[in-house]
Amino acid sequence: MLQPRYAIVLDTRKCLNCKACTVACKFENDVPVEDEAYRIWVTEMPLQGRFPHLHQEFQPSQCQHCENAPCEKVCPTRATFTTESGVVLVDYDKCILCKACMVACPYDARFVSLKHKAVEKCTMCIHRLLEGREPACVETCPTKVRVFGDLNDPESEVNRLLGSRNSYHLKPHQNTRPRLSYLG
Amino acid sequence: MTVLKGKLQHIIRDNREVPSLPFIGLGGLLLIVGMIGVLLVFSKGHEAVYGVSREVPWGLLIASYAYLVITSTGLAFIGGLGHAFGFASFAKMNRRIVVLAFITLLAGFTQIGMELGHPFRLMYLFLLSPQFKAPIVWMGIFYSIELLILGVELYLIFKPGPTSHRLSAFFGFLALLVGIIATSNLGFVFGSINARPFFHGIYFPIFLVVSGIVAGAALLLVIHNIVFKFRIEEKLTDSMQALGRLMGLGIGVMIFLYVWKFAVSLYVEPEGAVQAAYALLSGPLAAHFWIGEVGLALVLPLLLIILCRAGNSMVLGLAGLVYLLGLFFTRYDFIVAGQLPPMRQGFEGSGVHTVNGLAGYAPSPVEWMIFALGLGIFFVLYFLAERFLNLET
Repeated sequence: MLQPRYAIVLDTRKCLNCKACTVACKFENDVPVEDEAYRIWVTEMPLQGRFPHLHQEFQPSQCQHCENAPCEKVCPTRATFTTESGVVLVDYDKCILCKACMVACPYDARFVSLKHKAVEKCTMCIHRLLEGREPACVETCPTKVRVFGDLNDPESEVNRLLGSRNSYHLKPHQNTRPRLSYLG
Repeated sequence: MTVLKGKLQHIIRDNREVPSLPFIGLGGLLLIVGMIGVLLVFSKGHEAVYGVSREVPWGLLIASYAYLVITSTGLAFIGGLGHAFGFASFAKMNRRIVVLAFITLLAGFTQIGMELGHPFRLMYLFLLSPQFKAPIVWMGIFYSIELLILGVELYLIFKPGPTSHRLSAFFGFLALLVGIIATSNLGFVFGSINARPFFHGIYFPIFLVVSGIVAGAALLLVIHNIVFKFRIEEKLTDSMQALGRLMGLGIGVMIFLYVWKFAVSLYVEPEGAVQAAYALLSGPLAAHFWIGEVGLALVLPLLLIILCRAGNSMVLGLAGLVYLLGLFFTRYDFIVAGQLPPMRQGFEGSGVHTVNGLAGYAPSPVEWMIFALGLGIFFVLYFLAERFLNLET
């Protein structure tokens, strides 16, 4: 059996900007309520068009769990590592807080955690994955913006979505090969 | 005891001719300020007292670290030219060069030590779990080797009895070589970061080496003027002139590099690089850039060198002093400017804080206090060496 390759596919057109995902993430992962301490976010994109023909999209995002992760390459102590299933994680006990990963991340997905005294980021809720559950942000979303699944499973919902609609990655020119895809 | 005294006689002296006490006093004051800063960091935590943020994670202490350690490798380069490549005018200053390089490197290490959240963890994890793909690991390795080589050089220059010229030349060459590798690799720490277009590329590995050599020459000019109270003895006049010419040449190369760096960053407006360039030219760092980087580190010292035709040691000393002041802005600006363009636009909900599309950073008082610690260590140790060691080559 193939090792799973976890991925998240996001359909931003479904996002209501309710921010339930950000709240779920904070509760699930005990992320402190501080200005810079957040693992996921929902950006309100600029208004498009002119009144009365207006449109606004919301872009939920987080660590892109890159296959070519710059944060992992610059980490001097191997504190940042990628699991076999493609989840990029931080071993808090190995982090020396040099913050090179924060400078190298093109998505600004990392922050200094006062709780862990290390750099913290989205873990794709790996503790839930090990129990066969989805990440908290995926499970809580009322409109199912995020779909989580295994790219190695041809029958998975993520493969069905990626096979049926155009998709794109954030900052593709960075050649980071993210595991998060956005539907066009 | 008498034997030991005899052996140390040629090293130790009480040199009251050198005006070392005011600088030891100044260094002492800076050290006290720095130690208070250290206590604040350890009692309140780095995050509580440093001005760095999620958007700008590297600040003043990375700049001051670069400022000091790159100056040290610049000194080692000049020392290597003297020992290994037969530049007699530099070889004449060898003891001062080695002592200065060693102490400047130590002072630089205090800055990175206080910047890192877990400096002690670093020490064993670099051995137990090094990531050899990471430029920071090589930075640690090369600067540690440089410190070791400078330590051996210190032993060689102060050991009793004659030292084989070949041995000195060998270690002088090693210090030069490892110094260049260490500094260019420090440039690679920034140059490898694809996410920050202003950093990315080969510019900084080259620029840091060149500006570091100029810094080494500038520091030697300043120190000799202080030691000889602006009346540098005749036998060192040609050394001062050679340092002046080296500075002038280096500043010329720096201007050349600046021109193309800004041309590349402005032409067709590459995302990330153009915002950083404008942050320097007309944005929040403009005063630093025009007054500090351009005025003090390039134009004024070059003018002074040209006007005195690299001939007047006192004017060259002034050029060195002005350059070292300006170079601080150069180091600070490049670290900060590269991080000001945010990785995500500061729209509502993004969590990113921007003003006019740029992130912000201002060093905190405690960061300045830690910088004072590095300067204090430099002043105290170096001028104690001037006072009590025989630094005449």
